[in-house]
Amino acid sequence: MSAGSDLGAAGQAAPAGDPAGAGPPPRNRPPRSWADRLLTLGGLAVLVFLFAPIVVVIVYSFNEGRLLIAWDHFGFGSFRALTERPAIRSAVLVSVQVAVLSSLLATFLGTMAGVALARRPGRWTYWFIGLLLLVSVTPEIVDAVSLLPWLVYLGSDAGLSVFNGGIVRLVVGHSLFSTAVVSYIVRARLVGLDESLEEASGDLYAPPVRTFRRITVPLAMPAVLAGYLLSFTLSLDNTIVSAFVQVSGTTPWPVYVLSALRSGLRPEIAAVSTVMLVLTLLALGLVALVLRRSGDSATDIARTMGGG
Amino acid sequence: MPDLAPEAARPRLRAPRYALALPAGVWLVAFFVVPIGTIVWFSFGYKPGLFGTHANDVLSLDRYRETFSSTFFATFQNTLWVGVAGTLLCLLVGMPAAYWMAVKAPPNRRGLLVALVMVPYWTNFLVRTIGWQVILAPQGWLSSLLQTLHLTGEPLDILYTRTAVLIGVVYNYLPLMILPLFVAFDRVGEPLREASKDLGANRWRTFTRVTLPLARPGIIAGTVLVFIPLMGDYVTATVLGGARGNMVGQLVASQFQTAQNWALGSAMAVVLILVIAATVAVIAGLYWLASRPLQARHRLVLEDAP
Repeated sequence: MSAGSDLGAAGQAAPAGDPAGAGPPPRNRPPRSWADRLLTLGGLAVLVFLFAPIVVVIVYSFNEGRLLIAWDHFGFGSFRALTERPAIRSAVLVSVQVAVLSSLLATFLGTMAGVALARRPGRWTYWFIGLLLLVSVTPEIVDAVSLLPWLVYLGSDAGLSVFNGGIVRLVVGHSLFSTAVVSYIVRARLVGLDESLEEASGDLYAPPVRTFRRITVPLAMPAVLAGYLLSFTLSLDNTIVSAFVQVSGTTPWPVYVLSALRSGLRPEIAAVSTVMLVLTLLALGLVALVLRRSGDSATDIARTMGGG
Repeated sequence: MPDLAPEAARPRLRAPRYALALPAGVWLVAFFVVPIGTIVWFSFGYKPGLFGTHANDVLSLDRYRETFSSTFFATFQNTLWVGVAGTLLCLLVGMPAAYWMAVKAPPNRRGLLVALVMVPYWTNFLVRTIGWQVILAPQGWLSSLLQTLHLTGEPLDILYTRTAVLIGVVYNYLPLMILPLFVAFDRVGEPLREASKDLGANRWRTFTRVTLPLARPGIIAGTVLVFIPLMGDYVTATVLGGARGNMVGQLVASQFQTAQNWALGSAMAVVLILVIAATVAVIAGLYWLASRPLQARHRLVLEDAP
């Protein structure tokens, strides 16, 4: 480490022959030391590590072999099988349906909560933020096992038969964490914005409801959209809660994959994963676009997507 | 509390301040707080015969005693080991990566780098883990590559061990460590580091005395964000762990799904939450104790204390 910094200092003394000095900042940057090079190498290695299994899954979705793990030869057979197998098709359909519904619900609940948190703070905020934190830090498995008996109770003993429906159960299960996420995002956006526009609207005799609809909601819109898309991807990928609350007949695709794990993985699993990955990436690209348009920096986007 | 004139001037029934948050609150109480409460209640009951799942007519702490019996206790120990080791490894790998992204990488590339870290994070958890199963499989390409390079004599024997689970969890939770650390390092900013350098500190001293202390909130956030879900992990251990790499998440799940013993499963879930809370508290306490002498040594008093 000290040798590296010495080398850096020595290089700094004679920066004339360094082409990197002509970078964007006008002043001469010191040439890269060994420590810096090591750091860059490490950073790139981490990125490779992060992408390795994803690339492997995508590559192996073109495997023509019988088993996913054993590579045979290249081909599109697994994608063809995807369209032919009704089980996979219906699993994807269920996932998309649930994702649309649960993210709508979470966005509705979370937006209102976020607005209240940002614009009507009071003693209740501590309780409410405490509740949101609890929702987001509870291990998903605990969430899942506690929701199952409760939904069974509501569906059979309490006579609320809606809760026997597979879609309803999944929507309820997926909406919880997403509601917390949307609340954080919307709150963060509105806290960063001055309240003067809403006050002006009030001064101009707009009733509170109209101020909310015409001023607050448009102001919060980028956050609402980002929250919606994040909820959508969260729901699309939800595995654990889905595995517990699902009813046979409405199996979302991650649960289908999970059950395929026990009976042996075939290349179709990688193919459906690739398709869903593309869908998720599209949604994420939209989120980034929406946030970028509304003037967020890379750091802000990282904060938003990292869950507050 | 004092509100603005136009609203106060109109004498009308005003909704409470929390009115807009009420629907979300009610929803979360109905489908989060109440179910968790039910679980706690179940954990004091028992399994009534072969076909029942739970009964609460006799309350006892027997399920908790059962949870701490030797068979299950070993899994708890294993989970705690994977949790602590996995979090430390994430910190060890994530810290340089985040530092590089926030400080050393060219500023116009930072957005792209953040996006690159986020893509794996938002990719399906199960799919990523299956990717590792493909990589680590004894008949997979990594294994045959290592054998052709004569680095190992026999096929790779990592899959379905605790090592595989450790690799899996470090991989799966690394973005949750990198993102808060990136935000924290980014916040420190160039001017402070420059000032430290101008005042004669070398780069290591600048890092340990300026950047690191200021990035502390990010380090704490990352550690907590990784440790808590890691302890409750279910998917990674199921895909990569097999019988040799069991974790509590699987234990809880199996009590609900296969053994149909909801009372015991509930007790395990409650113990899991308590273990997580206790570990976080212990680590926070240790951290506080360790940082006090350091703070005392480096404190600079500008005025006389009263």
